[in-house]
Amino acid sequence: MANNPSPSCMTSGTGSCGGRGLLTLKEGIWANNPLAIQVLGICSALAVTNRLENSLVMGLAFIFVSVGSNMFVSLLRKHIPHRIRMIAEVAIIATFVILFDQFLKAFYWDMSKQLGPYVGLIITNCIIMGRAEAFALQNPPLVSMVDGLANGLGYAVILAIIGFFRELFGAGTVLGYTILDSQWYTSNQLMILAPGAFFVMGIVIAVFNALKGPDEQEVRR
Amino acid sequence: MKNNAYTLIFALVMGISCALLLTAAAEFTSPYRAANAKAEEIRNVLNVLNVSVPDDASPDELVEIFNKNVVQKTKAGLPFYSFVPEGTSNAPEAYAVQFEGQGLWGPIKGFLALESDMKTIRGITIYEQEETPGLGGEIASERFQEQFMGKSIVSEQREPGIRITRGSGQFGRNVVEGITGATMTCEKVESILNEAITKIVEDL
Amino acid sequence: MSETSALVILIAAILTNNILLTNFLGMCSFIACSGQIRTALGLGTAVTFVMTMTTMLNYIIYYFVLVPYGLEHLTYIVFIAVIAAFVQFVEMFVERFSPKLYFALGIFLPLITVNCAILGASLFMIIREYNFFQSVGFGIGAGLGWALAIVLMAGLRQKMRYSNVPQPFEGIPIAMIVTCVLAMAFMGFAGMVAIQ
Repeated sequence: MANNPSPSCMTSGTGSCGGRGLLTLKEGIWANNPLAIQVLGICSALAVTNRLENSLVMGLAFIFVSVGSNMFVSLLRKHIPHRIRMIAEVAIIATFVILFDQFLKAFYWDMSKQLGPYVGLIITNCIIMGRAEAFALQNPPLVSMVDGLANGLGYAVILAIIGFFRELFGAGTVLGYTILDSQWYTSNQLMILAPGAFFVMGIVIAVFNALKGPDEQEVRR
Repeated sequence: MKNNAYTLIFALVMGISCALLLTAAAEFTSPYRAANAKAEEIRNVLNVLNVSVPDDASPDELVEIFNKNVVQKTKAGLPFYSFVPEGTSNAPEAYAVQFEGQGLWGPIKGFLALESDMKTIRGITIYEQEETPGLGGEIASERFQEQFMGKSIVSEQREPGIRITRGSGQFGRNVVEGITGATMTCEKVESILNEAITKIVEDL
Repeated sequence: MSETSALVILIAAILTNNILLTNFLGMCSFIACSGQIRTALGLGTAVTFVMTMTTMLNYIIYYFVLVPYGLEHLTYIVFIAVIAAFVQFVEMFVERFSPKLYFALGIFLPLITVNCAILGASLFMIIREYNFFQSVGFGIGAGLGWALAIVLMAGLRQKMRYSNVPQPFEGIPIAMIVTCVLAMAFMGFAGMVAIQ
């Protein structure tokens, strides 16, 4: 199901890492979108997208953790003993997640209650773990950060799309502002519940697939 | 190849650094978190008492409104709030009592507000529950909670306690309609509310 | 005020509050490994075992170490460490005593560590303030519920191989939509379990 993750910019041999950065960014959001294309880390995606605002905050959390953990894993990549590298990665990721969670509880209390345990579950998110292992361990910090940003943005964009539709059809609102008035639109409660999430997610991925065209081998420079 | 000692030291250093960093962050955010928790509780009390509160009030503003309008004490072992509108020194306009108990899935906590006659319900609010979303979870919805407004905590036969029915069609001044598919949650809510109500009525 | 019995929590965790179909946890492995019923069954069993044991372990650690010493802010990190260590331990144990089982489970064991359902189960147990027996019941029930969902999905996907699915929907999207219907079906279990 997945395309190959971007190879290390050091081993590709051509082009500067800066140019690679822009390509990495585009890949993370479109060609290799972690949610729509690789279909990883969907747990949090489905749970928090019942409102657009929740999706946006979760997207932000994701970007923060993704960039931070990629950066740190990359900084320490030459020092982490091979045997405990997974646990070390998890520890770094968990630290960033908890930091975000604590600050959320302190400065955006209502949102913290809405997101509940799902912020904590970013720790087990396959995407972040996967990128730390596949990319950050082999690449210098700056590019790793861009990779983290790319994946984070790709994730956040999909979350926002799903959240937008679920809130719109499930409650008639967008970010709390009523768009579909309850006078003439009976909100589809199923959209706010679990089945709606699966459904919208399926449609979004299908749309991505349709727009991308049939599977093609991407030329790696 | 790193040897075992290095692995151990690395793991220790990393573990301790993470723990220290997180503890520092927890300490730093702790006063804000405590203020938020308190503000939320206060907001819930103010809302159930129907005290007008601006939507975007800050925690400090909430505390101020609370202090000017509400007197807190304990009655029958439960937190009890009397609403005396600012500027008046009459008898309290309304009362609120906190109720809490075990729901089907997790704790259920809320406030029950009574008019000055201590019998008519001004409203309820359930601010913490872990029930099934879409089913039991509906106890947190306005639709469910609105039903309680104007009801009595005492039946026509003078028995204390409210009843949450299965299905519609039953009436009574202490009867509200339950949620289809959430019988157990409603039963829990009923018993939790009645426990608080019994304590209040006994204490009168 | 009666407490919900562990048995009720167990049954409800399988059906009405299925950790996958209601709380969306454990989706990654669900999507990746639900191709065959056999692998789904193997994974489901492994997850149930790990979930039960780690829920118990984490309960003990949380209430006897973290809370008394005021270390709740380290909850996430401690829980995930316990899970990772436990899975590692199980892996070594299985490899040593049953190479056949080890071979059959293959990549699944390490994958279980990052299964959000396992961490999620421990977190839910804390949020819902279960006592020990309720936690055990919840751990077993959540695991079985997850296993049930993944086995059902595997069966459905095996059948779907012979269906005419539109090209953009092939693979994950149609699986998602089927999961949607599955989740709706499970919602129908609401109100089924009664307290004695």
